[in-house]
Amino acid sequence: MSTHSFQIDVPETVIARARRGEVAAFEQIYRAFERPAYTLALRLTADVEQARDVVHDAMLRVFDRVRQFRGDAPFWGWLRQIVLNEALMRLRRGRALTFEDVPDDESLPSDAPAPWLHADAHLLEGALARLPAMTRSVIWLYHVEGYTHVEIAEMTGMTTSFSKSQLARGTSRLRKLLQPTAEVAPCLTVPA
Amino acid sequence: MLDRSRMKFDPDDAGLGAALRGLPAVEAPADLWSSIARDLPGRQAVSRRRRIAMPLAAAASLLAAVLLWLPSRPPAPTPGDTVDASVAATADAETERLRARSQRIEQWLAALPAASQQDGRNLMATVETEDLIALVDMQLGAARSAEEALPLWRQRVALLEDLAVIRSTPYGLSGDRSLADASTGDVTSL
Repeated sequence: MSTHSFQIDVPETVIARARRGEVAAFEQIYRAFERPAYTLALRLTADVEQARDVVHDAMLRVFDRVRQFRGDAPFWGWLRQIVLNEALMRLRRGRALTFEDVPDDESLPSDAPAPWLHADAHLLEGALARLPAMTRSVIWLYHVEGYTHVEIAEMTGMTTSFSKSQLARGTSRLRKLLQPTAEVAPCLTVPA
Repeated sequence: MLDRSRMKFDPDDAGLGAALRGLPAVEAPADLWSSIARDLPGRQAVSRRRRIAMPLAAAASLLAAVLLWLPSRPPAPTPGDTVDASVAATADAETERLRARSQRIEQWLAALPAASQQDGRNLMATVETEDLIALVDMQLGAARSAEEALPLWRQRVALLEDLAVIRSTPYGLSGDRSLADASTGDVTSL
């Protein structure tokens, strides 16, 4: 299981207490999910302040609605969807989740080893943050959260083929950004 | 949930997924919980008020639904109406009408009991629709003219109507009509 995993079982008793409005139960839920929630928010927004706001608002929303949760689906999936919606919503509001073309990069030899196989985590994080928000979101949702292109298309309001092309182009761009010898002009900016 | 039927297998692609999943999780700011907890009591107070008002709101909601839906139905056309309607259809007038309708639906939604049971799909649909309404509100705030605002008001009313249907049929998306009808009365027939 990934270190980002939301797949945490919350005891029914805790959910029941949260439904009754017990703040201690809310805190228990928050503590269980604070890391995966904040990580997801940070990976999508690439901004610590925005990630903080996403988790803050998403958790309030969870607490506000927990009494309506019937338990026919895993609690973690429900909570993750709320965090994800909040992050995408915030990116849309900031107009960061608009189309920004990522050029195909054909300058690299096709037989070059994939740089992320040996890349330092810090470098990979940095390269990911330099991608446009839409491209970064598609890559993260697909590879880490395990969403399908169809699901990503629904969430972002784009088409399935757009999601696929963002994934392919983003992957190519990441390869370029992670090349140790390549001089990459800072042409991509992360919207604030 | 992984999409196994992806285009073609690329070992590098799989390697990227593994590399990303291997990135360390990030610690949330230490003071984040205290900031969330600060904002909780007010929200709980609102929820408690809603619980108290629930029996009254449940009864009122069905009546409100009737009142809400009736004005949206166009009156039966008469021969003279066609000309009158085309003259009266200015952007300002329609915006006013949509604004009023929007307000009515919001009042109706506010009167719904907060604790009404919703399954996961309905709940997510509610969250999604509310997010879309917030987005339209932001666009409305930036609209520079009545002509620009009009399609946004139409969109807002349509989304509010969607929300009203979702909220008033708690089990509607689950496909279990017996639960839906038993929990609300048949709102869809209004």
